Amino acid sequence: MSSWRVNAEGQREFRLGRNAFSTAERESQNCADFRLDDEDELVVDPDRSCYNCRYRRWTTDSFVCLKG
Amino acid sequence: MENILLCIDDTDNIDSRGTGELASLLADIVEKKGWGTSRPVTRHQLLIHPDIDYTSHNSSMCFKAVLENGRFADVTRLAMDFLATESAKGSDPGLCVVHLDRLKDRQQLIAFGRTAKKNVLTKETAYRLAEALDIHLSEHGGTGIGVIGALAGTGLRLSGNDGRFRGHFRINCLGDTLCLAEIKRQTHVECARSLDGESLFDHDRIRLGNKVKSVLLENRSTLLVFKSPEEPDIWQTCTKQQLKKY
Repeated sequence: MSSWRVNAEGQREFRLGRNAFSTAERESQNCADFRLDDEDELVVDPDRSCYNCRYRRWTTDSFVCLKG
Repeated sequence: MENILLCIDDTDNIDSRGTGELASLLADIVEKKGWGTSRPVTRHQLLIHPDIDYTSHNSSMCFKAVLENGRFADVTRLAMDFLATESAKGSDPGLCVVHLDRLKDRQQLIAFGRTAKKNVLTKETAYRLAEALDIHLSEHGGTGIGVIGALAGTGLRLSGNDGRFRGHFRINCLGDTLCLAEIKRQTHVECARSLDGESLFDHDRIRLGNKVKSVLLENRSTLLVFKSPEEPDIWQTCTKQQLKKY
């Protein structure tokens, strides 16, 4: 099953919430658009994770990918 | 001397410099002009909600400064001009400058900050409170919605119990651990405590993790530490995941 879904606003939203650390890390490794956010906004180790990406926009329960 | 809090919000877009970098630049300029001494910048997380327009994480950046007498107006003008020229295209910047010695009601400002972490607020509410408390609040482009986060950020900094300090420490450490006293000597850390609330002594030894950061607790730059089950005798600095909620 995909880690992503299209939300009501037509945005690509991460289905697994804010604590799926290994999946978010894996997804970022397959992403050509990954760009590390400002250090103050990094929330997980290692750095390479969708959770630390400049193009993730947090939502109440998860995040949307602005490059999606 | 004049004690102030200066906070900015919504100055960036997805590809620009972050708000934290601009806040640090402002803090540096204040010092370089000889107008006063700036304290480190703190990041304050605000509510994530569909009805709030934010770039990607909805946080504001605040610093304290102690100014030479009569410099409040100069710093405020400097910050206004700075935001007008340095904020990113498409952003909605807000600026808040609080003169702490003239602030009429600290608790109201703190309450506003705490509310901004739980509820959706309006610009009108922010401007009303700023006027009532004699606080400078101004917008510098776009919708100006950043005034809400800017005002809230000052309240949260004033609370003394919110936010992470910007950046990380570069600490010289020859072995694999360092005593708290040495960490305090090399950084702006003022104390250390465990996630369970246990205070550390200066002689306690701490293993430094990747990118050590401090948080604002009880008005002090606080290093948070924990003990892992594998090494119950050694304190370790917290991971990013552990600091996420601050």
